[in-house]
Amino acid sequence: MKKVIDIFPLAIFVVLLIVLFSFLSEKDDQLETALVDSDFPDFSLSALSNDNKTLTKGDISKLPALINVWATWCIACRVEHPFLMQLKNESVLTIYGLNYKDNRTKALSLLERDGDPYEFSIYDFEGRLAIDLGVYGAPETFFVDKNGVIRERHVGVVDETVWEKKFAKYLNE
Amino acid sequence: MIPEIGHIILISHLVLSFMGGILPLAAIYSKNDFLSIPTKKLSVFLFFLILVPFLVLIYSFLIDDFSVAYVSQNSNINLPNYYKLAATWGAHEGSLLLWILAMNGWLIAFMFFNNSKDKDYISTVFSISCQVIFAFSLFTLFTSNPFERILPIPPLSGADLNPSLQDIAFTVHPPLLYFGYSGLMIPFAISVAAMLFSKDTKEWASNSRPWTLMSCSFLTLGIALGSWWAYYELGWGGWWFWDPVENAAFIPWLLSVALFHSLIASENRGVFGKWSILLSIFAFATSLLGTFLVRSGILTSVHAFALDPERGLFILGILAFFIIGSLFIYSIKDFENETTPSYELTSKEFGFLLNNLLLVVLAVSILFGTIFPLIYEAITDGKQISVGAPYFEVILFPFALALGLLQGFALYLSWGTSSSFKFLPRLLIESVSVFLLILIILFILFDNLHLTSFATIFLSSWILMGTLQINKNKNLNYWRFLRKRAAVTFAHSGMAILTLGVAVVSSYSIEKEIILAPDDSVEFGNQTILFKNTEDIMGPNYFSKSATMSFSDGSNFSDVLTEKRTYSPSGQLTTEAGIKTEIFQDLYISMGDNLEADIWSFKVQIKPFIRWIWLGALMIAIGSLLAGIKRVRKT
Repeated sequence: MKKVIDIFPLAIFVVLLIVLFSFLSEKDDQLETALVDSDFPDFSLSALSNDNKTLTKGDISKLPALINVWATWCIACRVEHPFLMQLKNESVLTIYGLNYKDNRTKALSLLERDGDPYEFSIYDFEGRLAIDLGVYGAPETFFVDKNGVIRERHVGVVDETVWEKKFAKYLNE
Repeated sequence: MIPEIGHIILISHLVLSFMGGILPLAAIYSKNDFLSIPTKKLSVFLFFLILVPFLVLIYSFLIDDFSVAYVSQNSNINLPNYYKLAATWGAHEGSLLLWILAMNGWLIAFMFFNNSKDKDYISTVFSISCQVIFAFSLFTLFTSNPFERILPIPPLSGADLNPSLQDIAFTVHPPLLYFGYSGLMIPFAISVAAMLFSKDTKEWASNSRPWTLMSCSFLTLGIALGSWWAYYELGWGGWWFWDPVENAAFIPWLLSVALFHSLIASENRGVFGKWSILLSIFAFATSLLGTFLVRSGILTSVHAFALDPERGLFILGILAFFIIGSLFIYSIKDFENETTPSYELTSKEFGFLLNNLLLVVLAVSILFGTIFPLIYEAITDGKQISVGAPYFEVILFPFALALGLLQGFALYLSWGTSSSFKFLPRLLIESVSVFLLILIILFILFDNLHLTSFATIFLSSWILMGTLQINKNKNLNYWRFLRKRAAVTFAHSGMAILTLGVAVVSSYSIEKEIILAPDDSVEFGNQTILFKNTEDIMGPNYFSKSATMSFSDGSNFSDVLTEKRTYSPSGQLTTEAGIKTEIFQDLYISMGDNLEADIWSFKVQIKPFIRWIWLGALMIAIGSLLAGIKRVRKT
């Protein structure tokens, strides 16, 4: 009888561990599913290259496409920059930039120096579109299919592996 | 090149801690002296193998080596040197290094100052600690390597340290907290070794007590500093938010307090042996669990570290290995031959039992409140709720009340036998008089009495008199008092002062949103607040709009400065509160929005007795540190 009581702490702890483990796997896809399978939100913001030019959802016309959230203050964005250039140069698909809470001059000079992988960049200084997209920070990347529906979301650097694992499959649909 | 040296030494630390975790045990169980290693020397060597990588990382910060990814994410050319140093432990990777450093520090201290002559048993404690250290070292190298480089093109400047962390209190808050967390490794290792060697309860409890007390002291300091930091830096004027990360530190604190009380009974009377073992295991487990909650990103809070499920999985693995392992030993161990001395209902033993039950149930309730929102989210398919402060306050109050009532007379109880309660009438009269005295003082100061605070204020005078009066009964001279009673008197009086602070600040605080143009003034409480002017300030890495405000109670005038800072590298905004501290109250003002031209909104608060909370916590920390150090010397 005494023995059974001694196993109690172990049993309780194992249950706790299982619960925690399930949170972990839960959280993993939850982040991604927030906006997946809904239409890309409407917006009206200026272009990064030209303050007077207003961009709207209609301008994102070359579909399917990637929407990439970036900024000059974001170091990880520079890490993924070469891969985005590669996607552009191999004409895999169109990439639109969402320049997030950034300085316009700095952003433009960065693109000039390192190359511009984007069809165009939306200038979102106040993070308005970013809020609608539920952006956590930069970098973040969304895949929009040919019907204008967000199919996948990735928080963090996009590289070869992430591309193959998460995005490539939607391209051939 | 230098970061690579740090990296390589970190790898050798990994290898050596692995050997330290295996060899002594192998030598003991195979009875083969060939395998035995000098554990004392190894503990020193291991310490240096982690100290060097840590110094290398500091060096990389100081010379602005932005090719190191961790430096570039957490520092900036314009960051003042002092904060570059603090940035070393300002994020996940570096703080892990510091954590391992702290564990190694504790291990050295234990190897040189333990009061046991049983060599094999000490080697086992060493081995188990090395296993924990190895696990953390592995975790660092595989998921959170601080020496990772951005090559071939390093950025010219970094992203900056999170602005709200650029602060004096913050630079010392994490190290203290990590010292507390990591110190709990020693009682854990002792409890496992005690089970393996079937140590006598009295013996192992006396080995464990100093380390538990000192860890608890560091936890207290770390938590108190965190609370102080939140108070003036977050700009809300609150001192405790029931944020998941605060809870993650509060839970191991409660358990370590329970543990060192239970160890007193174990050491003196040989009781609660099994219970103390379980508590040692769970105190350590909750300190790991806290780490898991914070760094796996499953909880969001002001403290959020980078989200990374992989890290969460790894910590869960560490947690599973050590806690399942130790609880497994616990479950198969035969405790039958242990004699448990009997004790009566109103004995000191029973007092400790009650104290432990209350603390543990409280800890479990807080743990439940912390992870309940997650469970709720999981079963309702993503609906988010927050149980928040109301839940925790409702839970805390009855437990705090019961614990405080117990604390007031606990020191009078005697071991084994029923205690006489002759002291009770006198204690009651004295604490009621002190209670009335406090009420009179409050009434003079604030022209007001709040009925809601009466219970807690009485509790604080009850604890205070219960603590102070006992010393009078014992007829100690000055030196004997210092040696025998100073630690407990200090810590328990600290608890009384903390309770008083909480009682007063939670019912006497007032706050108001005000809108002012320069040279306008407004009445608030007994103060007149004048908005003098605004000024632009250029800091080293921020731009700030500041407002000079003047408080006056009719005779004294004093200026404070409140700021809205925009940190240039990240564009992040922080509010710096302007605080004027007096003995009995804080005047607290924080800048709000710029409504038009020169018109600003402000939030102004009067926080009576708030400093007493941290003063009390400081006394608790000093008291438990003294109690710990006193016992370390007994070797």
